[in-house]
Amino acid sequence: MKYHLITLGCQMNIADSERVSSVLEGMGYERTDKEEDANLLGILACSVRQKPIDKVYNKIAQWNRWKNKRNLITFVSGCLLPADKEKFLKTFDLIFPMSELGQFPDMIREYGVVTPAGLKIRQPIMPKNEHIAAMWHIKPKYQSTYEAFVPIQNGCDKFCTFCAVPYTRGREVSRPSSEILDEIRHLVNQGYKSITLLGQNVNSYGLDKNGEEITFAQLLRDIGEYGSSSEHEFWIYFTSPHPQDMNREVIEVIAAYDCLAKQIHLPMQSGDERVLIKMNRRHSMDKYRRIVADIRELIPQATLFTDIIVGFTGEGEAEFLNTVAAYEEFKFNMAYIAMYSPRPGAASFRWEDEVTSDDKKERLQRLSDVLKICSHEYNESLLGKTMRVLINGTDRKTGFSTGLTEGKIIVRLDHHDDSLMGKIISVKITSAANLSLSGELV
Amino acid sequence: MMSLMKPDIQMDESFYKVEEIRHLTGETFSLKLPKARFAFKAGQHISMGIVGGNQSREYSIYSGENDENLEVLIKEVENGYFTPRLRRLKVGSMVEVHGPFGKFGMEPELAAKGKFVFIASGTGIAPFRSIVHTYPEIDYRIIHGVRYSKEAYDRQEYAGDRYTLCTSRDKDGDYYGRLTGYLKTCKFAPETHFDLCGNSNMIFDALEILKEKGFDRDQIHCEVYF
Repeated sequence: MKYHLITLGCQMNIADSERVSSVLEGMGYERTDKEEDANLLGILACSVRQKPIDKVYNKIAQWNRWKNKRNLITFVSGCLLPADKEKFLKTFDLIFPMSELGQFPDMIREYGVVTPAGLKIRQPIMPKNEHIAAMWHIKPKYQSTYEAFVPIQNGCDKFCTFCAVPYTRGREVSRPSSEILDEIRHLVNQGYKSITLLGQNVNSYGLDKNGEEITFAQLLRDIGEYGSSSEHEFWIYFTSPHPQDMNREVIEVIAAYDCLAKQIHLPMQSGDERVLIKMNRRHSMDKYRRIVADIRELIPQATLFTDIIVGFTGEGEAEFLNTVAAYEEFKFNMAYIAMYSPRPGAASFRWEDEVTSDDKKERLQRLSDVLKICSHEYNESLLGKTMRVLINGTDRKTGFSTGLTEGKIIVRLDHHDDSLMGKIISVKITSAANLSLSGELV
Repeated sequence: MMSLMKPDIQMDESFYKVEEIRHLTGETFSLKLPKARFAFKAGQHISMGIVGGNQSREYSIYSGENDENLEVLIKEVENGYFTPRLRRLKVGSMVEVHGPFGKFGMEPELAAKGKFVFIASGTGIAPFRSIVHTYPEIDYRIIHGVRYSKEAYDRQEYAGDRYTLCTSRDKDGDYYGRLTGYLKTCKFAPETHFDLCGNSNMIFDALEILKEKGFDRDQIHCEVYF
């Protein structure tokens, strides 16, 4: 029995897929990269943009055609909007929220036995998350031997107007800190070097427990204490925090412990107050500016990444220029810049998408140009320095290896050695490009 | 193709039966549901969907923390998808409620000693009624911007000297014009907390006016209706 699993979207889905693999392999299924060879075909969907959802529709149409020739079971889970769920009910054999992953083996076993014909599933409008804790108990089958994603929270209460996640993953639920710490200790002892704490709003961690769980700052502190007592070198990242819940204490803790990576991903989305209000981001530029000032003061070596949406409803040229100005002010090392596209289920879907596609493309290009300038300026400042680099790729053909600094800057190394894969090594930086560095082994 | 069918979901604590519908204007009405089965802070919002439908929307809670009913204030959007369906609900219809959500909730300590100006456009008054119901002794002032004076929802519940109605389409309010025009004429104590709720354009304009008056952004809290 073989299964093929397609994972779309963010690291949260990747982390979820590792648990799906664990469940299926526990049942005796063997993973295959060739969907033609699989008896069980599944997708972990992403609803953040339309494109991944279109892919799900295309894929299931293809798989259902295959059913004329062979026996297949298809399933879909992940981030699904209620409207898409209704449609997928008619096309997939199995559909379930991740909180019900524990019952997935039973669903497969029951498949085809007795089905109460005509009974329609009414999906709750908001996913219920009481059972998400059970999903977290499932030990993941990690896809990498040196990089892992650890979910610390599920869901989102923020209701940004461009986003449908509150309707796909439900409200924020924090995972018990003891479990998180156990998983991190286990990973570190297994030799993992890069561990990312995952959540839609990681720094809201614990707030849903009304004082019965530690805060995000304390969680980081506990991890930092463990790191200080551990003989292993490893880096802890987190994504994504929300500026609304970011505070100086979190930054102080990151500064205090070596294992807490000096890289902060802080989504800004727009540099314009009016657009931020329209996005319902609930943070002002003043607040964002204060956070960045704290980072620069307490962790001057930290790299700063962000997310930006260009062409959101209400963003004219003046508003876009405010984003450009903010970018130049904060000098982000990297930005994931997306052209706005309305998502069914998100509040902004009901508004006119008034910025033309050409304008969005042009703004994306202009902001990307600013990104390159800021990034290049920073990269040049590293010339001649020796950096610790986690090797995550080697290419026998070219003879090069690639890796990431602690600050997640890409480094190209004129050296090939398979044994370096997944190791943190010292590299002297010899040249700087717009978005990457080159170096030599020290 | 066969599908695995799972049993229908159970009606649980998320489902509420509509107990009363109050028609406030031709377009605006409130739904009164049983007492909230969750603790919330006045000012927070819920997500509400119609049973059998597959969409939900967010609404600020219109009732106080200890009121006998959970109440939401709704304005029907012409040619909208969701609000016309809410409008067609009857007493006894079921809705699905999730929450509470949001950080717009009033803290008891602050309510006891703070001085507040609540600035609302249209149904954006909902969280402020919840706050006033919960903290009747609170030191507040409401500036409410609407098009017509009939949209002064439940005005009689607020003390006359604490409520200012700004009307932009008739002259039967306390101020004729947009609330932002009125706001420019106002003077406030330096320690005032401002809570703004309504459409994003009003919030942005009011925010700019308050900043021009010298108030710190941290004194101003916003809840956008969308």
